[in-house]
Amino acid sequence: MVTTRPAADAALTRAAADWWARLREPEPAAQTIEQWLAWVQADPRHAEAFEQACQLGENLHAADASTRDTLLRAFAPERRPRPRWLAGLAVAASLLVAVLGWRVATHGGPDITAQPQRYASGIGQNQDIRLPDGSTVQLGAASTLTASYAKGQRAIALGTGEAFFTVTHDQAHPFVVDAGEVRIEDLGTAFNVRRTGQQVTVAVTQGRVRLQAPGDNKRQPGMELMAGQQADYDPRRGVFSMSSVSVDHVAAWRDNRLEFVNEPLSTVIANVNRYSRRPVQIADPRLGELTFTGTVKINTIDSWIGALPRVFPVQVSSFADHVVLDSAAR
Amino acid sequence: MDKSNQDGGADDGKAGTGRHHEQIRALYEEHHRALIAFLHSRLSSRADAQEVAQEVYVRLLALEDLSHVDSPKAFLFRMAANMSLDQLRKRAVRAAAPIDPNDNDWHVTPLPEQHASAVQQWKVVQQALRELPAKTSKAFVMHVIEGRDFSVIAQAMKLSERMVRYHVGHAMAHCRERIEAEVP
Repeated sequence: MVTTRPAADAALTRAAADWWARLREPEPAAQTIEQWLAWVQADPRHAEAFEQACQLGENLHAADASTRDTLLRAFAPERRPRPRWLAGLAVAASLLVAVLGWRVATHGGPDITAQPQRYASGIGQNQDIRLPDGSTVQLGAASTLTASYAKGQRAIALGTGEAFFTVTHDQAHPFVVDAGEVRIEDLGTAFNVRRTGQQVTVAVTQGRVRLQAPGDNKRQPGMELMAGQQADYDPRRGVFSMSSVSVDHVAAWRDNRLEFVNEPLSTVIANVNRYSRRPVQIADPRLGELTFTGTVKINTIDSWIGALPRVFPVQVSSFADHVVLDSAAR
Repeated sequence: MDKSNQDGGADDGKAGTGRHHEQIRALYEEHHRALIAFLHSRLSSRADAQEVAQEVYVRLLALEDLSHVDSPKAFLFRMAANMSLDQLRKRAVRAAAPIDPNDNDWHVTPLPEQHASAVQQWKVVQQALRELPAKTSKAFVMHVIEGRDFSVIAQAMKLSERMVRYHVGHAMAHCRERIEAEVP
């Protein structure tokens, strides 16, 4: 029997689904969490509706292979036109796909570059990528990047982590990197982008780039960053702060050194974790706000972590598969 | 008075520690349901949510005191947000190789007893997704099935992250409504 549900129920289901989606942001704002809490604790029916959305999310997440395949084919058939024989190849081979795709596209064949190409590096593993237009990307460890070369555009998205770009300049086809809320447009350049959540740092070693934050538009077209300059984007205030940087120090990660100047410990740890065999967790969020300046050598991360209690009021607990940083007992 | 906060006050700390544990326990119990729901929404697994909640609790107990924290409740959920993100990152790294729909190795096998009711639910979900605009179902499937972040979907679909979140929430609402109406 199908019963007609009161409109209030439908509104409740929608509100619950909306909150569910909001909380699935990798880093929901403190305000979002606070508002959600007020809502979910206001009425047991709210909590129930929310839990039902979570349960459906779980069922979908745990779907078996054939269900996944059916849903993907039906609703997100992005990858379908990709030839089957290519599908099994590993990340390294995506280069071949991209080059092949570029050539096919420029000769009017089926445009398989319409499929954005996704790259992901493992923990502790930098990766070199050559893009179809000859530009190169050095991708830092545990980083993800998507390159879309459909219709002559050159659109890159840095999902997480860090990348150093050396761009083949082509005025007709602007090279654009999106890192969360920040957009970087190449103006003849080599530059480094690091994304930690929504916090983005851009440093230029050669030429210049144009930067745009969400508030920028035609009238306020963002700002330009020159070689030897660095911009840090603060997502809470939606603004960049500029500083100068020695070109030799930009992207030192390519020489196995992670360099930090006055950065919150939470950001430092998030980036160290991209190279650490054992992820470091910060148990006490207050620790994340401490500021760190210094160099972390990628091959001696463990001893760097071990030495932290000498400079910060922290204690380090090591486990087989992770390390916990906690406030030192006073 | 927070005696436990003073240097060298090892003996004085005992009463403080007891009070601290009491405070943590009260905080945890008061928000337990919301905390599990919060972690469940983010981790897509109630079992993982319970495990991480337990970890949050243990970490809170290990803290010295919360007297400097403006809102212990906000602190609790921020900690939970951080720890669930760590968990998600760990999963993402495990699945760092490009996801290939032809490869059957990467899925999570459902428990056998979930299967019967699940089959019916899939039919309803599929029908519900067909009723939605193509963009909406696509964003939803990329997010919940492929496990893509909103930012990645935004790039692939040339939408803003906010629009992607809207589509995903909208599809979730519609699927839930259809299930309510059709699955007894």
